[in-house]
Amino acid sequence: MRFGGGSTLPGRVARKLSSHFVPDMVQSLPLGCALVTGTNGKTTTATLLAELLDRAGMTPVHNRTGANLMAGIASALIRESDLRGRPAGLIGVFEVDEAALPSAAAETSPRLVLVNNLFRDQLDRYGELDTLAAKMKKAIAAMDRSTIVVLNADDPLVASIGDGLEQRVLYYGIGETRQANRTAQHAADSIHCASCGAPLTYEYYLFGHMGRYSCDNCGWSRPEPIVSADDIEMSGMESTLCTLKYPGGGNRIRIPLPGLYNVYNVLAATTAGFALNVSIETAMSGIEGFKAAFGRVERVEADGRQVLMVLAKNPAGCNEVIRTLTSEPGRRDVLLALNDNIADGRDVSWIWDVDFEMLNGKLDKVVCSGVRAWDMALRLKYAGLEELTLTVEPELESALDGALALTSPGQTLHIVPTYTAMLDLRKIMSERGLVTPFWEDR
Amino acid sequence: MNVRIGYLYPDLMNIYGDRGNVLTLVQRCRWRGIAVEVDELGLGDPVPPGRHDIFFMGGGQDREQVMVCGDLLEVKGEAIKREIDGGAAALVICGAYQLFGRYYRPFEGEELPGIGVFDAHTVAGKKRCIGNVVAKSALGGRSGLLVGFENHSGKTFLGDGCTPLGRVTVGYGNNAEDRTEGAIFKGAVGTYLHGSLLPKNPGIADFLIEKALSRRGHLTSIRRLDDTLELKAQEAAIARARKTH
Repeated sequence: MRFGGGSTLPGRVARKLSSHFVPDMVQSLPLGCALVTGTNGKTTTATLLAELLDRAGMTPVHNRTGANLMAGIASALIRESDLRGRPAGLIGVFEVDEAALPSAAAETSPRLVLVNNLFRDQLDRYGELDTLAAKMKKAIAAMDRSTIVVLNADDPLVASIGDGLEQRVLYYGIGETRQANRTAQHAADSIHCASCGAPLTYEYYLFGHMGRYSCDNCGWSRPEPIVSADDIEMSGMESTLCTLKYPGGGNRIRIPLPGLYNVYNVLAATTAGFALNVSIETAMSGIEGFKAAFGRVERVEADGRQVLMVLAKNPAGCNEVIRTLTSEPGRRDVLLALNDNIADGRDVSWIWDVDFEMLNGKLDKVVCSGVRAWDMALRLKYAGLEELTLTVEPELESALDGALALTSPGQTLHIVPTYTAMLDLRKIMSERGLVTPFWEDR
Repeated sequence: MNVRIGYLYPDLMNIYGDRGNVLTLVQRCRWRGIAVEVDELGLGDPVPPGRHDIFFMGGGQDREQVMVCGDLLEVKGEAIKREIDGGAAALVICGAYQLFGRYYRPFEGEELPGIGVFDAHTVAGKKRCIGNVVAKSALGGRSGLLVGFENHSGKTFLGDGCTPLGRVTVGYGNNAEDRTEGAIFKGAVGTYLHGSLLPKNPGIADFLIEKALSRRGHLTSIRRLDDTLELKAQEAAIARARKTH
């Protein structure tokens, strides 16, 4: 039977049949499971971690296609179970929504939990960041003492989760300052010291509220990471070079993904992989051979044009995509697709927190699409791009055709969609045979 | 001609893209050849008399709101009231709108006093009002409508000393009971609408700019801009609001 990518129907049915379904199935995984959460990058991080574990011979069961609520975990367990109903893998890698972490932790008793970052995303769903971090901390503190906790040292909200935990905490972070800014971006959330509430002082920012910070009032500061990335060199939308440092050594590696945000995803997956006994050699070859998680970064050829699609679903993520997009000289042809379905967040206010001003002088042909195409176009007008000829076409398929026609043969069309716009665009491209349907991605 | 904007607590009250409102005021002044300056007014900064023509303050998270509340009461509140009485314009959104009322009454504990620009008070509500809003308003410009996105649990009730900004046709508005949305007192506008509000509601943006200019002695009405894109975006958002509610 084939339910298609990301389907959670079988999982919902199984969870109705037995409330013990997920705990029982996870119990039967010999190596237990790892939970991956955070606002941005959980799909990429979990996919890379599963890849590393797979290369290390640990056959992971992974809720692969971004269906990341409890029903999605149940579906992954069913899809990858043998005829007797036992999971076919040895270890679970489950990406869970930030707000679902407490219930996921209670149902799966994970061996490892990883929190990559906390950004303002869909506050209409999750409430405020401080409250969310406090709930996550409470859920992690209640886990078994043997659970390994992997946290991003550069995100003070995430790092503070590790304070005072009884479990072993492993931090990762970016160690160099070549990519740093002295001032915060507009999307940066104002962050306060988790122990005393005073505003934090930043030595530098990497993106959003990530960076090197300390509290002048009580002395709390960024924890020292055990795995870090140094000497980062961006190669546009193609790849990123960095030196990955770990206890006892380091390697110069090429990450086949663009942007600083993907350096964090790689650090997160590698740290978790090390903690789950993946060797250094296996980790390095796994990173260099990695293919991005479905839809996050996608390269295809269409009508003699290159198409590069990069998901952007919140201000911090979108700023990084724009920064990467504009890191090389020349003007880009872009299709921006903004939807406001429930999975995107109904509120599109977030586009006003994105520094679209960075695109000034960097764009050639621009098409705005999606349910909120006009909002997107208006945002670009107020970003000072009013001189550009904007094409507005809410309907995605026509917008894609229009954008391809505007792009000269041999050139690249850059598509930046929100989540459901990405799903729809991918469907259109897969019907044309340009990308494989994602349930065949394996 | 020039206009000076006082952007209150930009680092603390910056949730839900509210800074797009300042961007809109700046651009709509520039496009008309009006010089514009933005002063950021943080914790502890005083409000000098006569300096600012438009005040702006956005919404924030609970902790930031408490910090800001203290500063408004001790440092800036009286001065802002004085400026608004003297003809300055203001736009305050969501949490800022609540703080510009008389008080906020939580479920438990003492009332938090506001600075009382608006004759309005807010009580904590159990239900969170989230979603798109459409309201009829005299500041709705050519369509006579406003559109935005609300996300609040406080319920605000207006007294006789101010008038509602609009009447809700889609969404909850001030309190989910009386269909009012927002408040106007002299040149000050308070509202629950994020969006950002001003880009898709240029009528309010131009109301604020006209108030600012008349305070500086320019009494003629301002030049119309080509708002085709603004009105298309408003129309599309209104259609979407009607469909998703």
